Amino acid sequence: MKSSYAYYPGCLASLSQKELDASTRAIAGKLGFELVDIPGFTCCGAGDIHEARPEYYLHLNARILGQAEQLGQDTLMTICNVCTLNLRQADKRLKADADLLARVNDNLREVGAATYSGGVEVRHLLWEIAEGDGFEKLKQIAEKPLVGVKIAPFYGCQILRPSKLLGFEDPDRPQSLERIIEACGAEPVDYPSKIKCCGFPIILAREEVALGELIQPLTEAKEAGADAMVTPCPLCHLSLDAWQGKAARESDMELGMPIFHLAQLVGAAAGLTYDELQFKRHLVKPYPATDKIYADA
Amino acid sequence: MEVTLKIHRYNPETEQGGLETYTVQAEETATLLDVLDVVKDEVDGSLSYRKSCRMAVCGSCGMRMNGAAVLACKTPMKPLVDRGEVPVISPMGNLPVIKDLVVDMGPFWEKFRAIKPYLDEGSGDAPVKEWRIQQEQLDQIMKEALCIQCGCCVSECNSMEADPDFLGPAALAKAARFVYDVRDRGGKGRLERYNGYHGVWDCTRCYFCNERCPKGVDPRDAIAKVGARIYQEGMRSDKGARHAKVFVDSSHKTGYLLETNLVPETVGALAAIKEIPFAMKMVRAGKVPNPLKPHKAGKLDEVRRLNTLIGDQEKQALEAVHRGPAWPAEDAPRPAEDDE
Repeated sequence: MKSSYAYYPGCLASLSQKELDASTRAIAGKLGFELVDIPGFTCCGAGDIHEARPEYYLHLNARILGQAEQLGQDTLMTICNVCTLNLRQADKRLKADADLLARVNDNLREVGAATYSGGVEVRHLLWEIAEGDGFEKLKQIAEKPLVGVKIAPFYGCQILRPSKLLGFEDPDRPQSLERIIEACGAEPVDYPSKIKCCGFPIILAREEVALGELIQPLTEAKEAGADAMVTPCPLCHLSLDAWQGKAARESDMELGMPIFHLAQLVGAAAGLTYDELQFKRHLVKPYPATDKIYADA
Repeated sequence: MEVTLKIHRYNPETEQGGLETYTVQAEETATLLDVLDVVKDEVDGSLSYRKSCRMAVCGSCGMRMNGAAVLACKTPMKPLVDRGEVPVISPMGNLPVIKDLVVDMGPFWEKFRAIKPYLDEGSGDAPVKEWRIQQEQLDQIMKEALCIQCGCCVSECNSMEADPDFLGPAALAKAARFVYDVRDRGGKGRLERYNGYHGVWDCTRCYFCNERCPKGVDPRDAIAKVGARIYQEGMRSDKGARHAKVFVDSSHKTGYLLETNLVPETVGALAAIKEIPFAMKMVRAGKVPNPLKPHKAGKLDEVRRLNTLIGDQEKQALEAVHRGPAWPAEDAPRPAEDDE
């Protein structure tokens, strides 16, 4: 773990998923690292600009990496799977191809933007607290263990695959979330779809296909007895939380499955309150799970 | 070494099946395919699976090991034996099972046929002599051309699990191989085949296909290449392309995603009305940013200039594609033999 990071919250945590940004800032204080804001950062382009206009995507991400570099930071922290893959993929291409980097920098210079020299590494919050001294620190701050709470980990796609760009752990048998859940004093719940897709990228363009994907992990986690699910990705969170009602209706089921952001799980174990972690901003009421967590409050 | 496998058996005549455990002796260098051969030769001759080349070229022996599609001939068993693992071997997913590990590749080939997997020479002026393309032109389709059609990418495709008619990663990677072939004159007609329902915009970007492909084709990246060409040709009939346009436009307007524009501009204003109750729930939870006062990135002018500059470069690149290289004329000199 570093003492400071260039902090890239991305669009969702800056807009609809503000509770994730607030929770991340709150646990950073507890974990003892500084989050340095990147002035003038933009959207990473998500999967959409990446697909539709790959050149524009590459330049947007090179600019963000260059801005982090200008802050004197060598590590950029993400809190979203899609941002993580987008930034890492751009970074890898730029570091591997000097001609490409020169051409991209020429364009950035022409519009007066920060250029990039290849000195930044992109890391997701999950990876920083799942091993090494970050994990040791996590165990220290988890002073309010979530005893008796069953949590189903949901990884999301773009923190596992493609592993040649992400590569933190075995993409078919990840364990980082399970380790963190245990360190928080809760009980990890296993189920087959924890590494599958939440359907979010196509939830507007192909709602029925996306809901068909989304219902699988939700029902499996429910059947496995989970009190809540936890995800390191705000897009997965939006899908699992905000679209849960639709998915349940389509499948004629009762779910009521609370969805936690990773930073909320860690924050709860670190003694941060329901309000500090902004649980009220979820569509699925988190009570059954948060009542267990905040039973003594 | 001693290898133990659990194999998913299925007999179509009795419609019975289930996991059977087999323990056999195999060479230390044995692949999964070698071990299956020993099981078939020495234990149970009725075990069915496909194989041919034994060297990861023919694409016959795709199957699942512990739920992940692999080529049996490319999967060494020693690391699993050393770990004391007893892997479960089962047929590939997203395809009907015929017997044991053999799946019906019929639906897979049907999707291949649907993408028109051959060069479209356009009308009229077919070439009259051999046309050799340049290395950098080949490089654009080199990865996709490596596909051996084994089906491993299709096995775990999450979108195909929810929509069995999705063209899927193998067929769409082949589509990219023709869209980006400089000799192809299929134009927008070819792209239309991939633009509708069950086409590129069905892809949920789960990246299982990239993870599973034993040949490094990266089918998801190929699907994105087809999506890019459809988008840059200005084709907006599909909700997927309109969804992408919201991201591009909002990056220009605010530097961020304009979440409030996503629903009406993707599904259309009329369909958006149906979503009002859902939108109200989002508003009550505080999930909807004020559309009248959008959050704007600092230094927004930089991003706007960048969008315009790169947009101009993309236009020029697309115009070059439209002009295309001319067919070689009858009296054109034969290209230099560069490496013979």
